Parts: sequence; C-alpha cells; structure tokens
Amino acid sequence: MQTETRPANARIVFMDLIAFVVLAASIALATAVVLVGAVLLLAGRAHASETQHGALLLKSLDGTAAPSAPLLSTDVSFRVSGMVARARVVQIFQNASADWVEGIYVFPLPENAAVDRLQLRIGERRVEGEIRERGAARRVYEQARASGRRSALMDQERANIFTTRVANIGPRESISVELEYQQTLRYDNGRYSLRFPMVVGPRYIPGNLKVASADASGWSPNSDHVPDAARITPPVLRPETGLINPVSLRIELDAGVPIAHVSSPYHRVEVRSPSASRRVIELAAGAVPANRDFELTWAPRVGAAPQLAWFAEEKDGRHYGLLMVLPPAADPGARLAREVVFVLDTSGSMAGASIRQAKAALEMALARLAPGDRFNIVEFNSSAHMLYADAQPVNPRNVRRAIDWVRSLQARGGTEMASALRLALDGTDGGNRVRQVVFLTDGAVGNEDALFRLVRERLGDTRLFTVGIGSAPNSHFMSKAAEIGRGTFTYIGRIEEVQAKMAALFSKLESPVLKGLEVHWPEGLRAEAWPARIPDLYAGEPVVIAAALDRLDGELRVSGLRESRAWEARVPLARHTGAAGMGSLWARGKVEGLIDSIREGAPEETVRIAVIELATAHRLVTKYTSFVAVDKVAARPSDAQLKLAAVPTNLPEGWEYDKVFGELPQGATDSRFAMLTGALLLLLALAMLFAPRRWRLT
Amino acid sequence: MRPDLAWGAECAWPEREDQKPAATPWKYLALALLLIGGLQFGRGAWIQAKAWLAQELIAHAWSRTLKGEQQVKPWPWADTWPVARLSAPALGIERYVLAGADGSAMAFGPGHVSGTPVPGETGNSVIGGHRDTHLAFLRHLKPGDALEIERADGRRIGYLVRDANVLDRRDIWVAKQEGPDRLTLVTCFPFDALRAGGPQRYVVFAYEFKNRGGERGTRG
Repeated sequence: MQTETRPANARIVFMDLIAFVVLAASIALATAVVLVGAVLLLAGRAHASETQHGALLLKSLDGTAAPSAPLLSTDVSFRVSGMVARARVVQIFQNASADWVEGIYVFPLPENAAVDRLQLRIGERRVEGEIRERGAARRVYEQARASGRRSALMDQERANIFTTRVANIGPRESISVELEYQQTLRYDNGRYSLRFPMVVGPRYIPGNLKVASADASGWSPNSDHVPDAARITPPVLRPETGLINPVSLRIELDAGVPIAHVSSPYHRVEVRSPSASRRVIELAAGAVPANRDFELTWAPRVGAAPQLAWFAEEKDGRHYGLLMVLPPAADPGARLAREVVFVLDTSGSMAGASIRQAKAALEMALARLAPGDRFNIVEFNSSAHMLYADAQPVNPRNVRRAIDWVRSLQARGGTEMASALRLALDGTDGGNRVRQVVFLTDGAVGNEDALFRLVRERLGDTRLFTVGIGSAPNSHFMSKAAEIGRGTFTYIGRIEEVQAKMAALFSKLESPVLKGLEVHWPEGLRAEAWPARIPDLYAGEPVVIAAALDRLDGELRVSGLRESRAWEARVPLARHTGAAGMGSLWARGKVEGLIDSIREGAPEETVRIAVIELATAHRLVTKYTSFVAVDKVAARPSDAQLKLAAVPTNLPEGWEYDKVFGELPQGATDSRFAMLTGALLLLLALAMLFAPRRWRLT
Repeated sequence: MRPDLAWGAECAWPEREDQKPAATPWKYLALALLLIGGLQFGRGAWIQAKAWLAQELIAHAWSRTLKGEQQVKPWPWADTWPVARLSAPALGIERYVLAGADGSAMAFGPGHVSGTPVPGETGNSVIGGHRDTHLAFLRHLKPGDALEIERADGRRIGYLVRDANVLDRRDIWVAKQEGPDRLTLVTCFPFDALRAGGPQRYVVFAYEFKNRGGERGTRG
C-alpha cells in the first residue's frame, strides 16, 4: 500500500508546488497591476485638480530682483526689561546702481509694536521724523522727493506690516532709516517670549482683481476684497537665486529675576551671562537672511517667577502703567466633554515644511481626543471641504479614518479662508459640550478684516484657537482672530515643536477658564485702561493691562471667577517699578481698542479723528498716521531722473515658490495613457484566456 | 485510521490527479487582468467622453448666457460657467471657455485664468486647456490664422495668431498685462506625450484684430 502511494504522492506534491508558485506569481502580478493603477489614478487626480488663482499669476512675477533695487540690510537691537522690550531697527538702503533711486521696503514688525520714533540717517547727519496724518505725510514726502531732497516715509499697512520709502538715494550711496518701537512681551506657561518677524510671507488675495496701476510695486494688483493688495505684496525672489536682506540682531535681556533657561528655537545664538538675571544674546552667524521669524524665549528660575508686576512712568502730568497679574494655576477639575472642529489650511503657501507641521499637529490632536468627545475636520484651499457632514463621536474607527484622510491631503491652490470659517462656525453650539475650533494656518491672507468680522458675527458659544504654522505666520491674524474668537493662539515653527506646543494648547483646551475678569480702580481715581474688557484667561495666561491714571495711590483690585470660585488680586498702586515707554504702550493699546470698535459698529471717521489725535500726541505710527522725515538740502540735480524700485523679499523658509505663485495651467490629461495601458492589459488577458492549453504551465 | 494519510496531500488536494484545477488560478488571473484593463481603458475613455459631452451641455448654457443670464451653470452641481466661445474658423473648431483654469473646469472645457481680463477688455486674456482634448487644435495654428471670441454680451472679437512658443510651466510672464490687447492660449507640450504633468507648455499668442473690429463688433 505504502509503496503504491509514494510516487503518486510525490507527483501530487510536485504539482502542488507548481500550482502554488503560479498562484503566488499571479497574485503578485495582479497586486502590482492594481497598485500601479491606483498610483496612476491618484496621480491623475493630483494633476487634474491643480488649482490656479489669478492673484497668484500676475505682474512682473519673474522672481528676480529689479536691477536698480537698493540692497537692504537690517540691524536690530533690543533692550528687554521685565516684560517690556524696546527695539531699535536700522534699515540700510544701499544703492549699488549709477542712478538716483527711490526704494520701497515692505516689512513686518510684531503686531503689538508701538512705533514711536524714526530718524533718517545720511552719513553722520540725522533728521528726526515727524508724525503726520497719513495723507499729509505722503504729500510732504512727495514734495520733498520732487524737489530732490532726501526723505523717508513710514506707513502702517496692517498691525504687523509696515512700509518704508526712501527717496533720492544717490548713485552708490547708503541711507539708513532708524526706527524704534516699544512692545509688551508674551508671558505664557511660565515663559517669556520675544518674537521678531523678518519677512512678510506672500499673501493670498481673494476677490476680483483690478487692473494694476503702473506705479504699484506689489506683485498683486488690488482686488475688491483687498483694496490695498499691491501695498502688502512685496516682490518675492526665487530662493534658488540666493537669499538676501541680511539681519543682524542683539538682545540685552534684563529679566529682573534670575533666569533659568534661554532658548532661540529657529536661529543659532550666542548667549553671555553678565549676571544671574541678565543675558546678552547675539546671532551665532553674525547675520541671517530675513526669511523666518526670530524667537527668543526664557523662563525665570523656579520660584522666582513673578506673580504680579506693576510698572509705571510719569509723563506730562499723567501716570502710565502696565500691570501683569498671574492667577494661580487651576486645579485639574472634571474634564469637560468637548466638540472640537479642526480646520486645516491646505493652500499653496502651506506646501513644504508647513503642511508637515500642521498634519503632525493635527494627528497628535486627534489622538488626544477622549471617548465622549465629538469631532470634525475642515480642510480648505480654493474651496473648503468637511470630513463628516456633522461632528462624529470619538472612537478608534472614526479617528483612524480621520488620520488617513488628513494624510492624503495635499497643499496647493488658494486660501479661501472665509468659506472654511463659515463651515466651522456654522451656528451650532455643541449641545452640552464645549465647542472649540482649532484653526491650523499660516494666515497668509490679505483680507484679515473681513475674516475678523466673520468670526465676530458667527462665533456664538464656540471658541476659536489659532495655531500659527511655519516660518513666517501672520501674527496679526493669529492673535486677533483668537482674541475675537475668545480663545488663544499658539505658534509652531518647526516639526520638533509640535509635541510640546500642542500639549500646552491641550492643557488650555481642557482646563477651566478664568472668566468674568474685572479691574476695580480705587475710589476717586481717574483711570483709563486697555483692553477695555479683559478676555477670559486660559491655563498659564496672565492678565495684562495698560492704564493711564491721574495719580498713583490706593489699591487696585483684579477679580474673576473660575468654576464659580472667586479669585482676587490686590495691587498697591504706589508700589510701582519705574519704567520708560509706558505711555507708548498705553496709547498703542487704546489705538487698537479704537480700531477694533469699528468692527463693532463705531463710525470709521470718528475713530479716525480720535486715533489721529492720540497718535499725534504720543508720536505713534498707526493706520491713519505716518512718520515722515525730510532733509533740508536738495541732493539730486533737477536733470537727474529718479528710479522707483521695490526691495525684493525672500520666500519664507520652507515654502515652495511654485506652489505659492502658481504655474501656467496644467494642460493635459492622462486619458491616452489610461486607454493605452488599459488596451494592453485587455489584450494580455484575452491572450491568456484563449491561448492553447498546452502553452500554460509548461 | 491509517497514520500515513492523516496529513497527506490527499486531504488537502483531493482531485489532484486531474489536470483541470491548475487552470483555475490562470483563469482568475486572466479575468482580473480583463477587469483591470477594462477599468483602466474606461477611465481614459471617460475623460474623453466627459470632455466632449460637457461641451454639448455648455452650448446650451451659453445660449442662455447670450440671452442675458449671468453665470449659467451647465449642470446644477457645476462650479464653473461659460464665459466665452472660442472658434478657429479655418479649422472648423468651436470651444466654450469656462471660468477658471483649474483642473475641475478644464476637464469640461478650456478655462479662462481668473484675474486676467475677459477677452475683449483691455489687457491680456489667458486661456488654458488640455492638449489632448479641447486645445489639441493649437498645434495646427499657424501665424496669421484667425481666431474669434464671442463674449457673453454677444460682441465678437477677431484675433490673429502672432506666434507660438514652447515654454516652461514657470514662465508666468506670459500672463503679464502690459502690451497690446491679446489672447494667450496655454496647453501642455509635447502634444503626443502619454502622461500628464510634464514641465513644458505650448503657448499661442494672438493679437486683437483691430481694423475690421468695428464692423464685426455687432452681432450678425
């Protein structure tokens, strides 16, 4: 019996082996074909939906510098004391050409900078700038320019975008503009941070574009939604042609208390420590190209962190003060059930490093959601899309699906932010859940005001948290949108920061807020404080107010409620620390309050008059007031022509030029390729089906 | 029970003596290839079918546009609408131009690059389209050939082809507004390439034909 079965068995095993090999080979082949097909399909989709927008295509967009553009370098020095910084920014315009040149430079400053001084420096001579109403300043400047005198003009375009113009720079001559500003530092979760933005990232300009005027220096013409688009879109150099606009930077830091740790996350710095509470910081490289924000953060030594600070200065018979009070940390209370809507910017400006950071942050956020919460995701570029029609419960399947969806998203196209905000702020209130919108974006848009109005109108009981992504986020958008959205803002500038920054944000999202904050001034004291309404505070945030007072006596009380438990702090006003520049900070706060009131319905003309009066008294650059400085003597001969040239800027680090500025339309489909490969596969299949049996397996 | 048969091949493959079963995976493979090939071919054919069927629907939307309606969507869920009719009389070509030169519009017709003026207005009107569907005819255009645009207001404008060039996708200077009123037609290059996504573009420059423009300005 056994001897009979052995050969048969052997043959069967041999046949099995062959069949197995053939089966495996065919499965592998089929899988490969399916995979190739899927890749082609996906690739086809990627090509087919390549989006262009007119705003990204127009006007002298060759990505190279105009030959007569002056070379620009910037020298920045900070003096930081406590929670206030004073900065001096020297912009050196160097005309390398043989012509007389007028240079225009569009640059960013911190969104809360109070610019209160400008000097024009010609060799050893200095001409002090004056604050004038914007139109008047421009007329003074234009007159001086026509008469051949060297002159400088500085306008504010946005809270964080400024323009300097310098006229009549002689052949091979250098002229400097020196400006100074005062700024309150951010104090959050036990760390101070000082941010110095270096470049205005290319902004998306929504709306219908108008025909560009000949002397406009921006890469975008104005549009009906952004009537000053040409003023906020400085020409951008292709990064391959080299990085320009070197910046050198020096910070003298006097924290007032022993410092534990200083860090500069985006630039290498050298730090010297003259004493426990002082540091001197300089860029290790000497100078860096202006292509990403600089940030310095430091923490006081444990136990040395101030819970309360009160700085004051007397000026023209009035006292100006800055108050910082840090409420004690909240007890980890009961975790609130939440409905979270994540909004992810997938526009062209996010392509590259930014989208990787944003996706990592979003994935981490999804993983952190708890059962019982609900969530949804909105992604937007030229149009907005939602993952689910309604918020879905958090469970492994939904989260898995969301993560897969997020991973498949690509950054390209325009930044139609309004449609995304409409989807996220849809009037629902999350029922008995706290409804939170987490908005991950670089804020590269030119229509901030329209978006702020939209947030204000549609917010309801939702809270909006902005997460500024990338090397040059629009800080004005991040902070103001979060302020109006009654949330808070976070910056992520590198993929390595995602973990820590998002964890800090979550502790804010999950802890109870301190609300109903009020400031009670002593009886009989005349005080005017900004912001007029103190926003709700999230974990780790201090109360910061700037005030003008007629005298410094009595006791100030700050009170609030956290989960129906009262909190109160008392400040004896007479016990202040002397500090300079408090008047500018107060005036800057008031200007912001006045301009914000336009959104709440105040007539713009009334506001404009009030701002001009205030800004003139405190020598501040605002939306309505500009600095102008004019030299006394004429320099340019009347027969020499003046050439206008915009200083080009770098593309922010990590951005992709072609994704931002678009390309010529993609004019092809994959139809022929698909039909050809399809036909070949069909032929092969038919051949296999009808081939004579003896060809097979042998 | 015989121990030698406990896990023998007989149990796993009882009919192994027969030649037939070996053919089964082969047949499945052939059928799978047939299916994949059919899907792949169908996908390609669908792109072409969609491109040409859509033009028929858009023709209807265009006639309503000429009657004074604005932004007529050719089908209810469309996110684009016809903005002009482009014709090349010598080649017998007629195409309805859609708003927006993005992939979703260009699947159905040549797209007008938003931000550039509508043809007939001052400046440089840029139109993009696919080299293997609506703008395949560009390769046959020669300098001096006539093109015509019919606008939503019924006005017709004549153009003469001035020049055609092979450029790079990043040569966005062709969308510059300075210079004479003109039409710039952009498609991919080379025309016979199999795959989409190449870096080259074929760009046709056509200048507005002013002399007889007045006579032809009204609808005939």
